Amino acid sequence: MATQTLASSQGGSTAGSVVIELAHVAKRYRGGGGVSDISLSIQQGEVFGFLGPNGAGKTTIIRLLLDLIRPNSGTIKIFGLDSRADSVEIHRRLGYIPGDLALYERFTPREILTHFAYLRGGIAWASITPLIDALNLEIDRPVRAMSKGNRQKVGLVAAFMGEPELLLLDEPTSGLDPLIQQQIHEQVRRVAQEGRTVFLSSHILSEVGEMAGRVGLIRNGRLVAVENVIDLQRRSAHLIDVTFPSPPDANFLGAVEGVQKSEVTGNVLHAEVTGDLNPLIARIASTRINDLSIREPGLEELFLSFYEQPHE
Amino acid sequence: MNRSRASRGLHTIFERSLREIRRSLAGWMAGIAAYCLVLLAMYPSIHGNKDFSKLLDVFPEAMRKLFNLSDYTTGAGYLRTEVFSFIAPLLLAIFAILWGADLTAGEEERRTIDALLATPVSRRRVILEKWLALCSATVLLSVVLELVLGLIGPLFRLHVGWAPLSAVVAGSCLFALSFGTMAMTVGAGTGSRGLARGVTGALAVATYLISTLAQLVDWLKPWEWTSLWYHAFGSDPLTNSFNVGHLSVLVACIVVLVVLATMLFDRRDFSN
Repeated sequence: MATQTLASSQGGSTAGSVVIELAHVAKRYRGGGGVSDISLSIQQGEVFGFLGPNGAGKTTIIRLLLDLIRPNSGTIKIFGLDSRADSVEIHRRLGYIPGDLALYERFTPREILTHFAYLRGGIAWASITPLIDALNLEIDRPVRAMSKGNRQKVGLVAAFMGEPELLLLDEPTSGLDPLIQQQIHEQVRRVAQEGRTVFLSSHILSEVGEMAGRVGLIRNGRLVAVENVIDLQRRSAHLIDVTFPSPPDANFLGAVEGVQKSEVTGNVLHAEVTGDLNPLIARIASTRINDLSIREPGLEELFLSFYEQPHE
Repeated sequence: MNRSRASRGLHTIFERSLREIRRSLAGWMAGIAAYCLVLLAMYPSIHGNKDFSKLLDVFPEAMRKLFNLSDYTTGAGYLRTEVFSFIAPLLLAIFAILWGADLTAGEEERRTIDALLATPVSRRRVILEKWLALCSATVLLSVVLELVLGLIGPLFRLHVGWAPLSAVVAGSCLFALSFGTMAMTVGAGTGSRGLARGVTGALAVATYLISTLAQLVDWLKPWEWTSLWYHAFGSDPLTNSFNVGHLSVLVACIVVLVVLATMLFDRRDFSN
């Protein structure tokens, strides 16, 4: 399986040195689960997305990178340093948002950010204020009275402050409203433009697609594949429902490029399309329709495509 | 609103830990001071009262030893019985055990430890700063105890002298800190606040029982030295002042526990 693919990363970034290097890493938990035989290397300037269902092992990998937990076997190097022996030096150069972010409830964001700016090596407050302003974060209300979105903004500022070389973001947008999600995407893109490295996890393909250049697919603790995000999106079928004023011809999409399956129930035509959508849209535009919906496939369907047609 | 300024006095883990409990710490200080004041206010009516001495004679000896009842009518005897036989060391120890467990296991249970350990601060330093915070708060409560008794006592004709008073307060403080550190250590090793508090609380009670029952039960006497309570109060500090040997045992115990805590914390897997 293509676990060591060093495909070119997102356009524009300079391919630099290797920032994250995992070799045959395994971590087993007493109650079961964990990850096994993970090998992966991530270049400087990449935005790497880790995609997989909940419980697949995404958080385990991020916690291993941070030395919060230790592997049973294998080696982890970050910036060429040992994840355990040199953890303090590594942590000096990275920012992190935990998956289930918890903040010191009794303090205000101003107090929490002051604390983390000090712990992260004395980051000047003046360099933090642009981030606070960009996210429009209220910093003098106690955290316990804040919404989930605002809390996540506090975590975001705490991670992004001081312009770290590497950002580890564990499901950074999970459970947030679209506006805040957009703000986070924006920050990640800005970081990528500056040639810094981002490692993020998600269970939503479209979200990873918005931010990442390469994607690692993880399921049941195993890295199933590492793909360029554009290839991945091309590979993943779109699910199309077209509603016509009257029952359509079963062969309506017969000759259209990219259509994998199509079937008719009543006035509705269901189809699966991979690759370019334009031929399909052109075909539909030639007639009158009542409704059209295009859905992204679920993760399960995506993973299945890797099992059905093993990647060389 | 002024966004251009950092918050003041909230930098190190030490500062943040103390800031987190400042209200509760103020409550503990007020409570300890109030308890001492009430007892001091009652002292003039007991001082030199022969009837009280006789009252004490009525108790069987076993009971007097069990509850550390001693000559009630002198200042030292009054403090020994009313303050240092049980209540003051107990209050300090409860505070230290509750907070010690919270400093390690509590932060883990609230999951704020993830972001904390991802900063460039070694685990060893995290533990040491937290322990220093525990020390400072326990010493602060002890100082309140000492100052209220030492400064306000004489107003109620209770004089014991600073040296014996300091010796018994030091014993209480080190006793509390031993168990507070133990709670911190169990918390660092297990991540469970309940376990840390339960185990340590039970041991604190056991050490008190060994020490007091040894006065009554002959076969327990050779085991008295295993009790930290004995090392804190066994040499009757209110009469004999400081006993460096005994207090050194408590200090050594604390040092060993701190080393153990850093080792356990360093090896932990913080998964969830």
